[in-house]
Formats: sequence, C-alpha cells, structure tokens
Amino acid sequence: MKKKTWLAGMTSLVLLTGLLAGCSGNGNGNSNSSAPNNESAGKNNSESSKGTVTLKMWGGVPPESGPQEVIDNWNKAHPEIQVEYVRFVNDDDGNLKLDTAMITGQDVDLFVNYTVSHAAKRVESNLALDLSKFTDYNIDEKMGSDAEGWKIDGKYYGVPTTKSAFFIALNKDALDAAGLPVPKDWTWDELREYAKKLKVGDKYGFIQNMEPFVDPIDSVLSQEGYTKADGTSNLDHPLVRKWLETLNGMMLEDKTTPPLGEQLTSKMPVEQVFLSGEVPMLNIGAWLLRSSNNFTDFPRDFKIAFAQVPRLAGSADQYVTRGGLGDYISINANSKKQEAAWEFLKWYSDGGMAPMAAGGRLPASKDANQDDALNSLLGDKRDTYDLDSLMYVMFDDKTPTYVRSLPQEVMDLRSQEYEKYFLGSQSLDQTIDAMVARHDSYLKQNK
Amino acid sequence: MKTSWMKRQQHLGYLFIGPNMIGVILFFIIPAIYSFYLMFTDYKFMSPDTKFVGLDNIQRMLGDEVFYIAIKNTLMFLLSVPVSIGLAFIVAVVLNRSVYLKKLLRALYFMPYITSGVAVAFVWMLLFQPNNGPINGILRAIGIANPPGWLSTMESSMYAIDIIWIWFMLGYNMIIYLAALQEVSGELLEAAKIDGARTWQTVRSILWPLVSPTTFLLLITGLIMSIKQFGIIQAITQGGPGNSTTVLSLFIYQNAFRYYEMGYASAVSWALFVIIMIFTVVQWLGQKRWVHY
Repeated sequence: MKKKTWLAGMTSLVLLTGLLAGCSGNGNGNSNSSAPNNESAGKNNSESSKGTVTLKMWGGVPPESGPQEVIDNWNKAHPEIQVEYVRFVNDDDGNLKLDTAMITGQDVDLFVNYTVSHAAKRVESNLALDLSKFTDYNIDEKMGSDAEGWKIDGKYYGVPTTKSAFFIALNKDALDAAGLPVPKDWTWDELREYAKKLKVGDKYGFIQNMEPFVDPIDSVLSQEGYTKADGTSNLDHPLVRKWLETLNGMMLEDKTTPPLGEQLTSKMPVEQVFLSGEVPMLNIGAWLLRSSNNFTDFPRDFKIAFAQVPRLAGSADQYVTRGGLGDYISINANSKKQEAAWEFLKWYSDGGMAPMAAGGRLPASKDANQDDALNSLLGDKRDTYDLDSLMYVMFDDKTPTYVRSLPQEVMDLRSQEYEKYFLGSQSLDQTIDAMVARHDSYLKQNK
Repeated sequence: MKTSWMKRQQHLGYLFIGPNMIGVILFFIIPAIYSFYLMFTDYKFMSPDTKFVGLDNIQRMLGDEVFYIAIKNTLMFLLSVPVSIGLAFIVAVVLNRSVYLKKLLRALYFMPYITSGVAVAFVWMLLFQPNNGPINGILRAIGIANPPGWLSTMESSMYAIDIIWIWFMLGYNMIIYLAALQEVSGELLEAAKIDGARTWQTVRSILWPLVSPTTFLLLITGLIMSIKQFGIIQAITQGGPGNSTTVLSLFIYQNAFRYYEMGYASAVSWALFVIIMIFTVVQWLGQKRWVHY
C-alpha cells in the first residue's frame, strides 16, 4: 500500500513536470513563430484581393536599426508591392530557422546571407535564385571588383549590398597624449609597440572583438591558399605561427591585451570597454558606429580615429585586408514573386538601403548617394570622429580585400586549437601540428 | 463468453493507451528508426543528394579525436550526479528535522530547479570570472593567492560546469528525498532512539538504507538526464575553451545543427544511446547489492 501511494505520487509528479515543460515549450514556440505568420496570413488575404504583392524579406539586423525605415520608405512609394521584414538572429539557430522555413516552403522571398559558406550551402540546395537571368543590372559594374568574392561557381546568386569596413578604432585623445600619429598602414609589430606605449597602469592597451579576431590568418591564407600545392593543409604557414606568437606575447609578456580565457568567459563587452575610454585601441568593424553614435548608453568624451587592420607580412603592397562587400541578398528560387523581389532588390542596392548606414552598413553600389549614407552613418555625432582617418578607412583605402569563405568546421577546429594555445594548455608546435592534422582529416573527409 | 469479454477489455486497453502511443510512435519511434537509417548515409541537411555510405560514419567517429574528448568530458560531467545526490540527502535529512525557517530553506533550495537555465548560466559566468568575480574574490580574501581560473582554463572548466550542475539538480533531488524521508516510519526511529543510537548511526543504518530505492531512482534518472544535457553548457561555454567542455550531446548538436552533418550526428547519437544503455544495465544489475525494497 505504502509503495503504491509513493508510486502514484511519483507518477503524478513526473506527469506534472512533463506538463509544465510542455506548456512552457509550446508557449515559446507560439510566440516566436506562429504569431507573425498568422498576422501576415491575414494581411496576405486582404491584400491579394486588391491586387498587391506582399514580399517577405528575412534579415538579421534588428528592424529598428534601419530595415524598418527602409521598407517603410519603399512601401510608401510602391503601393503595389508591399515588403515585410522578418528578423532572424544571425547565429546557428537563426540560420537553421531560415533554412527550415525555406525548405518547408513557407513564404520567404528575399533573404540575407552573411557569409559565403551559408550562401554556398543554400545554392547547393537550390534555394537561391541564379540572378544571371536578370539582365538589367550589372552587379560587377555596380559593385566593383570586390563583388568577385561572392561569386559561387562563377555566378551571382545574390547581390552583395554593403561595403563592410574592418578597422582598428583608436582613442585619438589617448594617441595625442602619447604623441603617437594615427597610422595609415602598419604591421602587428607596430601595433604591439603602440599597445605598450598606450597601456596605463594595469589596464590594457588593445582589445579585440571576437568576430574579426582571426582575420590576420585569413588575410594571409586567402592569398597563399588554405591548402598547399599537394592538397594538404597550409595552416602551418610561417605567418600563422607569427600571429600566434605575437598575440600570445601581448597577452602574457606585455599584458597589453586580455588573455583569451578571461575575455571569452567574461563575454567582455568590448565596444563598451573601448567607448568608456578604458582601453585605447579596438579591433572591430563598421558596426561599432551603432554603439558609438549612441551617447545615452555609451557616453564618451574622446574623438575616435580609425586605422587599417595591421598586416603580418613586411611589405604593404602584398597585403589584403578583410572587408569588401557583405549582406549578400538572395531571392528564394521557389518564390512565386521573383520579379517583384528583383525590383525591390535593385532599389534597395542602389541607395534604398541608406538608412541602414546608421548601423554601420554603407551601400556598395556606385549609384548610391554616399553623402546620404555618410550623413545617416554619422548622424549628429560628426564632430566626435576624426574624419580624415574615417574617410580613408571607409572609402579611400585602395588595399585589395578578401571575403571570408572558410567552412564553419575549419573555423571551429582552428579556434579550438588556438584557444588551447592561448590558454597555455599546449605549445606552439603542438598547436600548429594539431591544426594541420585536423584540417587534413577534414579535407580528406570532404574530398 | 469469458474470452470475448477479455478481448473486449483488451481492445479497450488499446484505446486508452492509443493517444499516448500515437505520440510516441510519431515523435520518438519513427525518428529513432529514421536516424538509424541516416547513420549509414552522408545526409546533410539541405543537401539535395544523399548517398549510402555504409559504415563510413562509424569509422569516422572511431577515428575522431574530438569524439573521445567528448566521451571523457561526458564522464567528468556525470561525476556531478552522485555528488549532487549525496549533498541532497544530507540537506534533506537536516531539513526533515526541526530547524528554523525550514519551509523557507526548502523553497530556497528548490529555486534553481525552477529558474531559467540560461539566466542561471549568465549569473554563474559572472560569479566565476577569474579576475573580478566574487568567488575568486572570496578565495583571495581567505588567503588563496592563485585561485582556479574556473571557466577560463582548459583544466578547470569542466569542474566549474560540474559545480553549476550540482547546484542546479540539488533542489529536485532534495524534494524527492524529503518525500521519501516522510515515509520512514517513526516507530523505527523511536526504537533506535531508545536503543541509544546517535544521530549519525540513525542516518547511516536506518534512513540511508530505507531511502535506497529513492537513491537508485535518482541515480538512474539523474545520469540519463545529465548525459543528455547540453543546454546549460551551450549557454555558458559552447563547448570551449578549446573543446574542454564539449560533451557528447553538445558534440551531436554541433554536428547536426552547426555543420548540418546529419549522418555523422546520427551515428554519434546511437553511440550515446549505447553508452546510456550500458550505464543503465550496469546499475540495474548492481542494484541488488545495495537497494533494499
């Protein structure tokens, strides 16, 4: 008897937990997915009767940082084609959500790819439309030679719309106080010296956003090749070694940059640390402007100057920097509204996207009005930037660029191994060996 | 006459379990069979053509260094289960007697279990910060010059995760123990008291054996739940630094939903299934030695 009541108690407890879990799960799911769907379904019905087309565009930028204004502008001017913006978070889960939506045939008409590898996967599964069927817009001519990196099997499956600048942001006041000029092109050794001179007390002289952290390696290998002539991994390139050594020296000997373990586990908010004036140099990209224009959350009392990301190799004329173009917008190959989507995409690329500049996304097309974009990029904070170096880094720098196109698996195996090195768990040689071995086995797997 | 009545009863029985069985078949049995099939293909999510590749995925798994690291990490993660059960037993015994604020304390211990895992993860990340986190602050204040780096080093990160997980499970284990302790007959305790048993002796010789079925239940469910757990690790470290906290379930998740390697992920899932199976069978066989019904 006793055992039975106990059992009944347990069972009801388990059932209850299950029920609770079920409820909460459903709750989340509903609020995320079905609500916007229902809403749009309603709209679709009411509007199709009036003969308008409704397009759905999926992008990763929060609507309030530009996209909403862009589509509001479009919708006002084009009552016959209405665009709705759906935001997905640009991470593993978010991209999976987008892929699933497209595969299961939900209506996605336009979508933004943020990396070449994501775009390539979507092309492989016939989700992105080959844009060469539209002949009234010459992507090469409009976007310039930098668009090249986004060609997949020699064709465009999307329009790279933004110019993405990557740079070192500098605290101009701190530089002036130390008597250091704003560098135009420089090496990592020079940056290391700067960091030493700018270091105050036990604060750091240089911090990095984790997104462009590994770029120096990619800058080298995008030119020299990720594989050697015989098809084996090129991750043992001498400059990879040099990068590892330089940063490790800065972390441990100079103590001018935070040790990687500390930065990762504290999820260091690098933008905030830089903008509060605590650390004078930051490796980041144009999205910094989103925060640096926001004086309410990030009050700041110094001028920001900009410098090219330093190079590992000695000579400046062989250097390529990351950047080029980004926000590769594709049309869903299964969409029934491709013509309308194409109209919107052309308008968007040729300057319709100007409000996006407030979030650091400058239009890439030569026909877009750069002054408009610059105005919304800087807003009323123009005076708080060093305009000479800003113009140089964002517009005038003629250093060739590359677009990161490494598969996620290789990015991950590489970062796992260099983390072990920076955390002191394995030596430099072990790290290089492990990277090469794992890359080789990846190459073999995916031959 | 009687047999047909029995038969009708049987049909009715099927009717009753029907709704549940449909769910199980649709959402568990069929996907499980499908993943068994996927194990022998090179299926990638979104990829249009899928080939049958035989045992390639299993071969790849056995040659994959990270797979073995993941097994090692999983075993280290499972250490937290017995520790948490032991602590929960002690807490439950104390709370079961008359202590001040008994009800408040019970509620407090149970709090972690009902809070959101991700929120909890972020709080722990702050607590564990190597340089200016409160935990290391306290350790330094009591004279430990070089406190551990917790989540920030390869060597200590798995233990840090263990601590979080122990804390997380403590409340649940404790509640189950409290229920079991209520069932212990007061006569036994009184008899022990009259015979002059000390508290420690009562706990060891009466309470612990009498709640052993509960311990067994907690051990099995705890191990299975922990072996499948990945949410909390994904929120805190994403398997890093390096791959020092990549447990098997996280490894599967990454392969399936980060790299879209569904075939390979299915193979590792089945390996995980085999491991859970072994654990459970070993415990089941071992229970005769220490579980008293």
